[in-house]
Amino acid sequence: MEKGPPAKHGDDELVALAQKGDSNAFEDLVERYKQKAYRVAFDFTRDREEAKDLSQEAFLRAYTHLKGFNQRAGFYTWFYRILVNLCLDYRRRQARASWKSYDETTDRADERNDQTSSPDRAAMADETSRRVEAALSALPPKQRTAFLLRNHQGLSIHEIAKIMQTAEGTAKVHLHRAVMALRKSLAELI
Amino acid sequence: MAQNENRVQRDCKNLEQDLVLYYYSECDIKDRSRVETHLEGCAYCRRFLEELHLLLPLTSKQDEPNEAFWDAYSKEIHRKLVEAREKPSWWTSLLTFIHPWPVPALATALILVLGLTLTFTKGMWRSQGTPPEEMTLMEFLPVAENLEFFKAMEVLDALDLLEDVGGAKNGSA
Repeated sequence: MEKGPPAKHGDDELVALAQKGDSNAFEDLVERYKQKAYRVAFDFTRDREEAKDLSQEAFLRAYTHLKGFNQRAGFYTWFYRILVNLCLDYRRRQARASWKSYDETTDRADERNDQTSSPDRAAMADETSRRVEAALSALPPKQRTAFLLRNHQGLSIHEIAKIMQTAEGTAKVHLHRAVMALRKSLAELI
Repeated sequence: MAQNENRVQRDCKNLEQDLVLYYYSECDIKDRSRVETHLEGCAYCRRFLEELHLLLPLTSKQDEPNEAFWDAYSKEIHRKLVEAREKPSWWTSLLTFIHPWPVPALATALILVLGLTLTFTKGMWRSQGTPPEEMTLMEFLPVAENLEFFKAMEVLDALDLLEDVGGAKNGSA
């Protein structure tokens, strides 16, 4: 039986093996980064199924374009850009699609939060989550992207500017405006 | 007093972006020390920063799916990767369509069609391809040929005239 590469292999070695046709090596990379990828996609979508589909799509794109990856940047940096671009496309599609009503969002949030022990606490958490979700959805796409990448993913302004293909100063402005808008719309939570 | 407060608030407003960047540790040393100096003497900005510390962590929502989800995730991505491996690319599909045996047949047919087309449309091509100067020349060619004919006729007329003159002279003689 064919044996996969051992887990101690670094990303570069796994990529090199995958580029030579070792499919197990690429699946090792998937196992290594699937949770991180899922969380990034979840930050953008706030929907479990969409996050799963987007992160898997990013892995598939990385796989089909692996031969063109020259390893100048690390695998995850390269993959991360693919993933964020897919998430941005998703946001654009969402923005073009019909406006999702607040009630629909609320129903979905209710379905997800059925495991909390205290009903009051659950209700409060639900309410906070709903408000945050609504406030984030109301942000313009660029502000939202800059905010998610900095606040949720911990990326530096330099990295955000590279991913958004904009100047660092512009990324700072987007981040600042996003924070100010959220502070305004979520003032009741603090 | 009120004017002084307004001025302070305006200064603080200008510092907002730096405060946001300070919160995210994105200030350079110079800006950081400027913000810290300002914070020491400004209750409004200290409150603003406190609000960011309270509010912004609330916005990140973690979703922690269970083990079953990750198992299903791995199986699904494995299936998709296998499909991607087995699915031929568009150019491979095109290559598989072009089998070795029809290539000479297609080439022969193409040459035949090309040959027949050229043969039967030769006149058409020529008439279409003739430049306008040549067309004018060809129009005048028959006229030029006629000129030669008329010249010859003139010579014959002249000969007839000479014969007539010669005949008349002989007759009178």
